[in-house]
Amino acid sequence: MPRKPRPSDSRIEVLQGTLDLIILQALRWGPAHGYRLLQLIRSTTDGVLQVDTGSLYPALHRLARQRWVSAAWETSENGQRVRVYRLTPSGTRQLAIERSRWEQLGRAIAGMFAAPVKEDA
Amino acid sequence: MNRPHDRDDELDAELASHLEMAKRDRLAAGESADDAKHNSRREFGNLAHVKEVTRDGWAGATWERIMQDLRFAFRSLRRVPLFAAVAIATMALGIGANTAIFSVIDGVVLRPLPYPHPERLIYITSRFPAMNLDHFPIDLGEYLDLSERNHSFASLSAYTLGAVNVGGTAHPTRVVSAAMVGDLFHALGVAPAIGRGFTEADSHPQAPPVAVLSYEVWQSVYGGDRGLVGHSIDIDGVTTTVVGIMPKAFDFRDQGIRIWQPFTYDPAQRDQFRGGHFLYLLGRLKPTVTLATARVELQSLLARWAADDGVPATVAPNQRRLHTPTPQHALRYDDLQADMVGSAGPALWILQGAVGLVLLIACANMANLLLVRAESRRKELMVRAALGAGRWRLVRQFVAESVILSLAGGLVGVVVAQWGLHALLAANGGSIPRATSVHINLAVLGFTVVLAVGTGLVFGSVPLLQVRRESVSGALRNSESRTTAGTARHRVRNALVVAEMALAVMLVIGAGLAIRSFWKLMQVDSGFDRSNLTTFNLVLPAQQYADSNRRIALFESVISRIKAIPGVKDVAAMSGLPPQRPINANDTKFIGLPTGPNIPMQNVDYWQFVTPGYLGTMKIPVVQGRGFEPGDGPMQPPVVLVNEALAKRFFPGQSAIGRQVQPGGSPAVFTIVGVVKDVKQQGLDASVGTELYIDYDQTPLDMGFTPRNMNLVVRSTQSTAALAAPIRSVLADVDPELPISSFRSMDDVFAAATSRPHFLAQLLSGFGAIALLLAAIGTYGVLSYSVSERRRELAIRMALGAAKSGVLSIVLRRGMTLAAAGVGAGLVGALIVTRLVRAILFDVSATDTVTFVVVGLFMAAVALVACLIPAWNATRVDPITALRTE
Repeated sequence: MPRKPRPSDSRIEVLQGTLDLIILQALRWGPAHGYRLLQLIRSTTDGVLQVDTGSLYPALHRLARQRWVSAAWETSENGQRVRVYRLTPSGTRQLAIERSRWEQLGRAIAGMFAAPVKEDA
Repeated sequence: MNRPHDRDDELDAELASHLEMAKRDRLAAGESADDAKHNSRREFGNLAHVKEVTRDGWAGATWERIMQDLRFAFRSLRRVPLFAAVAIATMALGIGANTAIFSVIDGVVLRPLPYPHPERLIYITSRFPAMNLDHFPIDLGEYLDLSERNHSFASLSAYTLGAVNVGGTAHPTRVVSAAMVGDLFHALGVAPAIGRGFTEADSHPQAPPVAVLSYEVWQSVYGGDRGLVGHSIDIDGVTTTVVGIMPKAFDFRDQGIRIWQPFTYDPAQRDQFRGGHFLYLLGRLKPTVTLATARVELQSLLARWAADDGVPATVAPNQRRLHTPTPQHALRYDDLQADMVGSAGPALWILQGAVGLVLLIACANMANLLLVRAESRRKELMVRAALGAGRWRLVRQFVAESVILSLAGGLVGVVVAQWGLHALLAANGGSIPRATSVHINLAVLGFTVVLAVGTGLVFGSVPLLQVRRESVSGALRNSESRTTAGTARHRVRNALVVAEMALAVMLVIGAGLAIRSFWKLMQVDSGFDRSNLTTFNLVLPAQQYADSNRRIALFESVISRIKAIPGVKDVAAMSGLPPQRPINANDTKFIGLPTGPNIPMQNVDYWQFVTPGYLGTMKIPVVQGRGFEPGDGPMQPPVVLVNEALAKRFFPGQSAIGRQVQPGGSPAVFTIVGVVKDVKQQGLDASVGTELYIDYDQTPLDMGFTPRNMNLVVRSTQSTAALAAPIRSVLADVDPELPISSFRSMDDVFAAATSRPHFLAQLLSGFGAIALLLAAIGTYGVLSYSVSERRRELAIRMALGAAKSGVLSIVLRRGMTLAAAGVGAGLVGALIVTRLVRAILFDVSATDTVTFVVVGLFMAAVALVACLIPAWNATRVDPITALRTE
């Protein structure tokens, strides 16, 4: 059984400016409340990406204000009132924009690594 | 949903549900209830901080946050009532003074005149540059010429001021009257409230006399009787029909006009009126014409005027320029409001500048108070920071407190202003133009609110300079060891004290200059002895006193009876009362002096008609020749006296005695028999005009003109108040229908003439005193605080054997260094700034050395006192208790 990475060794602070992308992407899988989002982000990245509550909630409220997500109070399966966030159509468009920006960045960095190192030749 | 607490509650609920779910998961994973609760909280992080940053992200929630901050600030201020009271009082003083002065500026300078389209109202006067006459009246011929030729004005009207007795019989009242040519009401755009204005027919010489009354006279003399219109009243003994009543408070140019009458003339004889300059003109520009274009038109009118208008052949060539406007004797167009405000404008702006400085000083003091308060709250701030309050949040807290303080100060300030304004106008209304339009209105209140919030933001943000500079951990360190507190935060406070001191020095120097110039004005030699003089004015009704000899007889009788009142030493009558009478003469022919188109006109500024006792009563010395004597009666050779200025102007280096003169083209030739000392007739601050004295008794035969309007002067050992009753009974005996007006002492006449400089000197010294007090309190406060901070250090020094004098000098040196820097900066600042007050100074340079030195020393002395108290307290630090309590 592979060892679960401990937060202390390979945990990555969410990059400045990518938090919105991460939240919007997480909401693509379905509506979620704040606690679920944290769990989702943690589990889908094997605990590598750590978002703390002090960043998550301001971000959620900010996204709601920009109307990229909508928020509504609902009752969870175990009868608890929770505030559930959903991706809106404009949020979906925004996600596409952020995603293509991210991929561009990824390609650019990958390109740098893929370039042949001259002194070996 | 959008209400603040709802939103807060929602966030609380959302975060609570998060914690709840985390706890459940942990319980499901087998943790104990305690562990689950504890661990979920730990994992969540700082709950308060999360709330804080999330709230910070709420845009559109600015207002909520402001209210939240204000509520919190209000609660924390309630815990320090003394601090809050001192702060509010300081701000109330500063903001109140600013509100009061601003309301004056608003009413006088900024608010448009209460007529439709006031910007089109133009005040027209004439100027004779060669004679140094500006804002001089114009003549009827000129008015009629201008009315016919100009294309700029939609309407033009002229008026001349007078005084009439109204009410007839028992107790007539003397009021200011205006006779107008054209329709001044129409030009102003104000219609009578009841009845009608004047028609062209009313100005015909044979038309039945009509009058329009002011609301005030209608009320006070006729009890507001609505049936009065259409009926007759007695004006100067003439039965006159009242055709209209003007609206309440209607006046023109603050002249207190109570009765309006048409000026009657025959248009065919306009040339007879040429050269008689007695009309003031008001024009209303056509909507498409600006003042600038009207002035351009005037230039071309002036260039052609003399050619177009045949000046009557009877006018001597050198007199023509008096009779027809030319480029040398030009008309001038002034914006009516600007003209009314005149020299009061700069004076008011100077006052506004001065109260602005007071407010800055008050702000500096407030900033200092808040700094000290911030110091004492370091622990509270640390705790709140640790609990998750962001720095921005703490910053907002300071600002909220200071805004609350300054708003409360502003509120109290409005009350202070209302009260101050009332006192100000009651004491000085006469020296402020348009005083009746001065009120604390919405615009002024808006100014006050902006000022209060603005100053709150300014002084509230000063402590931030310090908060920003130190980290919270720094604050923690410093609070544990106060004696090592960095000099950085002292720097802000020291800078504030220096700035306060400097501003106060500038203000006190300004006040000093105003006081010195007022004092100099009071020292001006008026040319006669003005102590123990009582004066009043009598106008003989034209109808009853049509005969000159009756006029002379009346004054003789009044004078001899007043002389018999116990305590009265001397009595005389004169036509013009110094020191502020209008110029009343011009064409006077000096026989034997050359005349010609290129020789300056023989212009005399004043004719003064006096009864024989005049020189003795006024104590005006005769410089050369003699005064009037009993022998200079009606049937005797006509003689005149001249003042020194006239003798010097027309007979430089020669004697004026024996020279002959024809005043105003009179048929008789008068011989100059004496030269008397100059009397200040046109204001204490102006140079003396040329003056010709004519014996009242000699007027009927020789001049053909005997004035009806005379001022009596009584020199007496009795006070003016004590003379009132006996003089009134004398008048009642002689002619019960004669109203007495302007009964006052000559000192009061002079006080009225110098009321504006007096008012400025008073207000500026008031503001200077407040500035001084605030600066002294500021210095004292900073030093006291620094002494309390350094108690331990001082205690150690004393424990190690430092002498009391040593400790004293340490504190004094620090305080006086600050004071010296402040006074120095203030002196330099004053050198730059006082040139702005030059307009209000008389005979004092804007950089008057005496004022600068005296104020500098005085301020240093005040600073020394402010430093001595904390220094003295420092020497009384008991080493043992000081060290033990630390």
